[in-house]
Amino acid sequence: MSDSRIRPLPLVRTLDLVPEETIERIHEASIQVLARTGMQIRSETLVKALEAEGGDADLEALRVRFPRDMVEEAIERAPSSYTMYARDPAADVVLDGLNCYLTCDGCASEVVDLRTGRMRPSTKQDLMDTTRVADAIPEISIAWQPCAARDVPTHVQPLHELHAQLLSTSKNIQQMTVIEPHHAGAAVEMAAVVAGGEEELRRRPILSAFQCTLSPLTLDGGPLESAVIYGKAGIPCGIVVMPLTGATAPMTVAGTLVLQNAELLGAITCLEFLAPGTPTFYGVCTSTMDLNSGSLSLGWGPEEQLFSFASAQLARRYRIPSQIGTFGTGAKTQDWQAGAQHALSGFTSYLAGGDMLCASGTIYGGRVFSFENMLLDSELLGIAVRVLQGFPDGDDELAIDVIEEVGPGGHFLAADHTLRHMRGLWQPRFFGRDSWEDWEAAGRPEPKHRARERAVKILEEHTPTPLSDAVEEELRRIIDHHTLEGAIDG
Amino acid sequence: MDELIKRLRDKLMGADRDGALGATRELLDRGEDPTRILQEGMAAAMLELGARWNRGEVFLPEVVAAAELFKKCSELVEPALLASGQKQEGHRVVMATVKGDLHDLGKNMVGAMMKTAGFEVHDLGKDIPTAAIVEAVRERQPAIVGLSALLTTTVPEQRGVIVALEEAGLRGKVKVMVGGAPVTQEWASEIGADGFAPSAPEAVRVALELLTGVPSGVE
Repeated sequence: MSDSRIRPLPLVRTLDLVPEETIERIHEASIQVLARTGMQIRSETLVKALEAEGGDADLEALRVRFPRDMVEEAIERAPSSYTMYARDPAADVVLDGLNCYLTCDGCASEVVDLRTGRMRPSTKQDLMDTTRVADAIPEISIAWQPCAARDVPTHVQPLHELHAQLLSTSKNIQQMTVIEPHHAGAAVEMAAVVAGGEEELRRRPILSAFQCTLSPLTLDGGPLESAVIYGKAGIPCGIVVMPLTGATAPMTVAGTLVLQNAELLGAITCLEFLAPGTPTFYGVCTSTMDLNSGSLSLGWGPEEQLFSFASAQLARRYRIPSQIGTFGTGAKTQDWQAGAQHALSGFTSYLAGGDMLCASGTIYGGRVFSFENMLLDSELLGIAVRVLQGFPDGDDELAIDVIEEVGPGGHFLAADHTLRHMRGLWQPRFFGRDSWEDWEAAGRPEPKHRARERAVKILEEHTPTPLSDAVEEELRRIIDHHTLEGAIDG
Repeated sequence: MDELIKRLRDKLMGADRDGALGATRELLDRGEDPTRILQEGMAAAMLELGARWNRGEVFLPEVVAAAELFKKCSELVEPALLASGQKQEGHRVVMATVKGDLHDLGKNMVGAMMKTAGFEVHDLGKDIPTAAIVEAVRERQPAIVGLSALLTTTVPEQRGVIVALEEAGLRGKVKVMVGGAPVTQEWASEIGADGFAPSAPEAVRVALELLTGVPSGVE
């Protein structure tokens, strides 16, 4: 294992690609949308609660319109920086705008089997394996659930998923499949068992979560109630929106951004009034529609990069940490398309200054998780980090003494200066760099083959920090209890 | 193993100039057999370093730096070798960058590493006309002649040298090795060269193999 548990991506400089006036126009337009159109909040109780807080409620239509003051107050209430705690304190992640962090994604429904190379439905074991690799590599800082546990009873699936991740990582676990309050309650209970009690969990919440809107402008009751439960337990709960240009959002880039921003501010307003001060984040996985099929475009391109730039800027405007959907690709394997799309989106999101970049390891529009891609993505970000760091320009780096020493026509190969500085040169781990002859002799290996070997090795060798027997027993008891209860209810 | 010999090896592999030269001097001062210093200390270190380079454990600048330091240590050992009458000439190699090409970094690296493997290297330099190379082969009677070229426009000169060696009746007496960025095994085979290597440490391995007919210790 590497000496450091996590490898932050320093935000030495960020690029505000979108003009400030445009960001302001998007902000103003979304404030208007929230006041004029509002959002549907699909829970009578919550609509009433929001009305009591100042929302303009239509109980029959379950519609809440948000006055500007209320939205601005909510933005103020949302913490601008906080820590994503981990079971292993060495893996704590501070969201303070100084560093960017890589997470996995995205509850894929399928994985590419490491042995067969074939896609198949994911299992609890896959979730444990993918999380274990994320635990092992420092490039992944937060363990967003990489895939779904589809082989467990569905009524307790989110609890099995949390169980699988608690067993497999001591990094911050980011939950996304808990969308029912009783699951949220059970998840908090399980996290408290691991953390050492409710108070200890509140002090160092080892979980984070997020809830999604239903574009356009809808928030279901279960997710919002779950967010409130997390918030009240001290657990950060982000909001993630996934509008689709032309389908669940307007066809234009600007219009999609207005809708996205309105949904995020609306949902954050709900959360900050129902559970004030809850650490939240501005999460986006905004995409374009495929004009032929009407589904998510797998040809991830320039619009998605513009969404990334604009989203990071909007989040900075609100001083709320961002989580930017990254590594979008429609590729089915680790081919040119996957490489190009992952490289472009990774570089874009990082340059845009996102606090968290998600979706490492996904292919096929986030539906399929691939171990190889997670490792290859970490290589790509390594390059981006090095670029943004720039280069030192001290006297030793300017090197005039060694230039004099070598002189015209000589070489720098054996100079002390070379030996002293060569370890600073970025080194590929997966990119091929062997000669054509060696490559042929080795059976024409590709980066994905090296990445697969690495994944297999990690799975053979890496043991996550174990839970105590007593904790494990307690976790199983909670899951058993809910399994039985659900069976009786059902 | 002898502590001092081991120190010489380690310092040489670490390209620690003062350490390696110091250890060599100490060994000579205590009257150590110069052949043992050369073989068990210096050559063993270079062989080990070559193996490590092959496994991707060290970088090329480290190997080249050690090779240059090897030369410096050799200069210290040489008088003792001569005095003891044990100095043996290694296999002789003549090498040159062909006519029209001023790129000699690759050739110099190969030369430096061949010396560490015990070859007696005669480096003719860069931009060397074919006739001068043939003349050097005739005069010095090397076991191997190495021809380097970096440019696609000068690579054909390698074929020219082979043809000229044939015409001079020398081709059967010398092995020809070719190298340079655009040179491939295919090209080497096409022009009838005996050996090709894509890198300096590999060139040493191929050279040893050409002369002994068996794979060398460098993996």
